Amino acid sequence: MSARELQLSVGSGAARRARERVWTGLAFAAPAIVGLLWFTAFPVISSLYYSFCNYRVLKPPVFIGGGNYRRLFEDPLFFTSLWNTAYYAAFAVPLGIVLALALAMLLNTGVRGLAIYRTCFYVPSVVPIVASAVLWIWLLSPQEGAVNDLLRMVGVKEGPGWFQSPEWSKPAIILWSLWNVGGGMVIFLAGLQDVPKELHEAAALDGARPLAQFRNVTLPFISPQILFNLVMGLIGAFQFFTPAYVMTNGSGGPVDSTTFYSLYLFNVAFSDFKMGYACAMAWVLLLVVLSATTLVLRSSARLVYYGGDA
Amino acid sequence: MTPEQPKSVSRPSLPALPSGASGVLSRRALLGAGAGALLGGSLSGCGGQSPTHSEDGRRLLNVWHAWGGVMGPRFEKVCQAFEKSHPEIKLRLVYTQNNLSTNQKFFTSVAAGTPPDVTFVDGPQVASWAEWGALEPLTQFTTSAGVKAEDFFPPTWRQNVYREQVWALTYSADPNFGFAWNKEAFRKAGLNPDDPPQTIDELTETAGKLTQKQDGVLRQIGLIPWAQYGPANSMFTWGWAFGGDFFDYASNRITATHPRVLKALEWIAEFAKDYDPARVASLQQGFGTAEQNPFYSGKLAMQCLHIGGIGDIERYAPNLDYGVTYIPAPPEGEARSSWVGGWCMSIPKGARNVEDAWEYIRWLCHSEVGTQIVGSECSIYPGMRHSPYFEQVKSRRFYRDYVKILEDSRHQRPVMPVQAYYMRELQRAVEAAVYGRSTPAEALAIAEKNTQAELELALAG
Repeated sequence: MSARELQLSVGSGAARRARERVWTGLAFAAPAIVGLLWFTAFPVISSLYYSFCNYRVLKPPVFIGGGNYRRLFEDPLFFTSLWNTAYYAAFAVPLGIVLALALAMLLNTGVRGLAIYRTCFYVPSVVPIVASAVLWIWLLSPQEGAVNDLLRMVGVKEGPGWFQSPEWSKPAIILWSLWNVGGGMVIFLAGLQDVPKELHEAAALDGARPLAQFRNVTLPFISPQILFNLVMGLIGAFQFFTPAYVMTNGSGGPVDSTTFYSLYLFNVAFSDFKMGYACAMAWVLLLVVLSATTLVLRSSARLVYYGGDA
Repeated sequence: MTPEQPKSVSRPSLPALPSGASGVLSRRALLGAGAGALLGGSLSGCGGQSPTHSEDGRRLLNVWHAWGGVMGPRFEKVCQAFEKSHPEIKLRLVYTQNNLSTNQKFFTSVAAGTPPDVTFVDGPQVASWAEWGALEPLTQFTTSAGVKAEDFFPPTWRQNVYREQVWALTYSADPNFGFAWNKEAFRKAGLNPDDPPQTIDELTETAGKLTQKQDGVLRQIGLIPWAQYGPANSMFTWGWAFGGDFFDYASNRITATHPRVLKALEWIAEFAKDYDPARVASLQQGFGTAEQNPFYSGKLAMQCLHIGGIGDIERYAPNLDYGVTYIPAPPEGEARSSWVGGWCMSIPKGARNVEDAWEYIRWLCHSEVGTQIVGSECSIYPGMRHSPYFEQVKSRRFYRDYVKILEDSRHQRPVMPVQAYYMRELQRAVEAAVYGRSTPAEALAIAEKNTQAELELALAG
């Protein structure tokens, strides 16, 4: 065998081996790929198709064009649910970030027993959502709840009706959401511990007061964490479902004040069996979340500092 | 006055459902082929058909039931009795919550062609499930077995007849409701404890006398008319008591704006003006736990009581001194008014062991021995009118009152496919009126318009 022939055969062998490696790799990844295609991609694409259909699950879907989307914009409850969800997102997300950051900064002061405090603040996030929702129903019971008892002690004779009152039900749920800031807090704490100490020292030497240090040193360094919590919080807020479902027994009351988007979607899908309509709602929700997230990411490009690529 | 008789069950405007199930079959074929091609045998345990025979050679019958908690073991006893009398059948019981919000599992199984042989279905949902194609009609079985409408309390039969077919048999008949009053509270307020209110005027007056406030906190309330097991059930209860009706079967029209229904909601809204609904709400049947029921604890002096309340009171408030009678009604309304709720049993579309499934349903819902065992083990009333169980309970305090109420029941919730939607719309209407967001007339008009549109959409396919 000539040297050239030898080289060729080695070359084609390597190519074959490379091809084999690709196939072997694909074979090993196949369960994940098949799973993704079948259990995620297929339902997602189907739901897009069904959103243009009249589809009652057990009967074949009937294509009706944009009928579902048209009806959506004539449905007052659709707008109510969108408003309720936007209201929740507008308050729960920023308040949650501020509270999480405040807690993280308190914990970052080097207090003794940091681990204990950290655990205490984080524990509510570990409590199953249904359990914490039920707990809050008790805490915020207008007659016998601990919160209104406290208010009575400080002289507020008639505390709010909380979940029973159309005006207070959303604030009550926002209050509940603040109980779960532990996850965001831990992320902030990690971010805070990465802020270079020497920068703080330099700032202090230059005479910067704590507030100025926070604004000019801490905040830029934790801006990626703020962005992360903001985006995740927004997505979570738009998909808000479980506590509203538990707290109102799935009714979204009183007077539709807790009919959040996902709750309404759920009722449309599984109570009324308008799966096509529900799919249309889901796609509108996707567009809303996508635009909100894009808006946040775009507008934050100049505000977020990733260390290193200054 | 003589109350309006319930409408006939024949609905000329709703023809029988087409018998073909091509949609189901094609979906099943699609799902089967897809799953088979992609997943091969790796998931055979999940999607495959279950065996038809038990290890000892008995025919298997898959039953999805809704009885968890304390009812679970009691229901199992009923099933053991069935197996004893049917030694060739082995039951495979699966607890599957199967109400409005948890029926996905059931519908998925029907869509996939792997349903159980028997399922429980909430009475008011039978028509919906039939319309969506989730159930097999039972008419051929009821006809050949000689099961007749008159064997059942009329509403418990009517709720299962839709588009000229029988779709289910009633397993449990809940007489909704008895009107319960706290005798001790009556005594304390200087009222005669043995003279409960009988008209709406008397009820309103008595409720006022029984309401007590202390330091701005409600200590006791006479009645919360919109909190009889949720606003929608309250609307049905008072609407019928006032002489109204909610659906016109002849024309397939929603009649939420029926003048007598409107009168009922106006009364409820008027009542709400004297109380802050948000504050009162915390006194109503809250989060489902019986221990907290304000009637049991004496905070609520009068309420429409579900039959399950008797057992709960025995357990949680054994010293409560109370009485049960018919729901008060205005003179021009319906005397002895009540309606029927409860669970039914059905054969899902695509079930395999249909013959045994029918035998099981028939035994539990329409046999003397079966209904007797169901009644005594589970403390529920069968839908079968002449079940020997009723002789057994007629000697028991309170339970005998509920037998009378059941015998007098004239209504069931409207038998039509968008019943769940109607319930939600009625709830919204009652809340809007109670919280003063709109007048009762406006609120009911919206409910009627929305539900009618939804019904027409559903019937259009």
